[in-house]
Amino acid sequence: MIGTTTIRTVSGEFPIRFAVAVITLCVLLFSPVLKLHAADAGVQVQLDVKNAGPRAVETLTERGILRDYRFAWTSMAQALESNTVDPLAGAFSGEAMQWLRQTVASQQKSGLSRRYLDQSHRLEVVFYAPEGDVMELHDTAEYQLQIRDGDTPIHDEHVTVRYVVLMTPGADRWVVRQLQAVPQF
Amino acid sequence: MSRLLRFCAVICLARSFVGVCAAQDFHVPDSAVAGAESSISTTGSGKGIFYLVGPGVSRKSDIVLGEEVQLAAQDLRNAGDYLAIVCSGTCRSESFFVSASKPANLTFLVHPSRVPVALGDAVSGVAFPFDRYHNLVLAAENINFQLTAKGTSLWSRSVRTQNGVAWFRTASGKSAGPLQVVASLGDLNTPRAVQQVASDPCNLRITGQRTPKGILVQTEPIHDCAGNVVPDGTIVTFTATGAVGMGTVDAPIKQGVARAQIEVLGPTTISVASGVVMGNEIRVGAQP
Repeated sequence: MIGTTTIRTVSGEFPIRFAVAVITLCVLLFSPVLKLHAADAGVQVQLDVKNAGPRAVETLTERGILRDYRFAWTSMAQALESNTVDPLAGAFSGEAMQWLRQTVASQQKSGLSRRYLDQSHRLEVVFYAPEGDVMELHDTAEYQLQIRDGDTPIHDEHVTVRYVVLMTPGADRWVVRQLQAVPQF
Repeated sequence: MSRLLRFCAVICLARSFVGVCAAQDFHVPDSAVAGAESSISTTGSGKGIFYLVGPGVSRKSDIVLGEEVQLAAQDLRNAGDYLAIVCSGTCRSESFFVSASKPANLTFLVHPSRVPVALGDAVSGVAFPFDRYHNLVLAAENINFQLTAKGTSLWSRSVRTQNGVAWFRTASGKSAGPLQVVASLGDLNTPRAVQQVASDPCNLRITGQRTPKGILVQTEPIHDCAGNVVPDGTIVTFTATGAVGMGTVDAPIKQGVARAQIEVLGPTTISVASGVVMGNEIRVGAQP
């Protein structure tokens, strides 16, 4: 009787352990966190702070800007590819958030989507407020822009776009408030 | 080779009959302004699909090649880069920029909200002009900054925006009270207020007298060096040193004066300080 019980336990535990391992593996493989890091890795950002003024950019701030600007573009790319506003939360606010929401809503209506691939950003701080509450940056961005109408690709081009960016510090990160493309700086 | 060329010609001819091989060409606006209608001229014949992809817009519509495509003001509200795509069999694209229109708002950040008087580089402000659609106006504009207190102009300067931003930094005024800080651009005025408070106390002096319970010490009315009354609540520290040792009492300023009752019997030396400012020292004899 005891032996039978033992055999049952062992034979019952094995499939459970196996199932747990499979589920864990699936969760890890398909988790949004991993996806975020994977997408993040595709966004290259270089930051130049030597022309910042009137306030100098502190080392920690520099790191924060690099991290949060990369996160912002990763979020934007996800939002405009999947046509959902959820990835935008926390990375954008103000006017930038407004037009991104409009873009997602407009894309949902028209059935279009955009992909920003192989992103590379050369960021330069051109203004950092005396009290550190706002920063203006110039971004020379290069990426492969793909536009799809449903599943049909209608545009695929490697582009260089210049952006004027305003970022402000939030509770625990810098957020993009303005992201405006310009023909030249 | 000739068979291949013949095959291609036949295919193209066949497609042109069904209207999908029509050569489409179009011209985007050379310059467009946010919130203003515009148009795209097309050439060719037959039907096509027009796409407008830009900040805040993703539009798809059927068009007739050879006719103008109207771009509504609503579609061009956001400054930035736009992509016009015309598909008719194949797709062609052209990009164009929409620039901000004239300034309609002035975002003005001023620091700090409370500042001691007569402090160098203590007040700073940053102004960004935006158009009515909240696009940053990058064309250079002159912004006037003015600081006034009690109706008197303390400081003013005109600063030209660079990359869409203008800023200033200056000293605070000499007297306590509200400081009006205004940024103006044409008819636009954005006011902010900074409360100027007295600086550190100046000529901190105390008097003391024996009472049945000990020594009552009090300051003279406390002012800063410009004569402004130091605000109530500011802490003044009295230090008593006697035969039995040393003790301190912290007292807040009330109605311009700080008072403390020090329970000590023997001869005592009492000094006073507030922040980094030291006052006079008094000696009070023993209880008779």
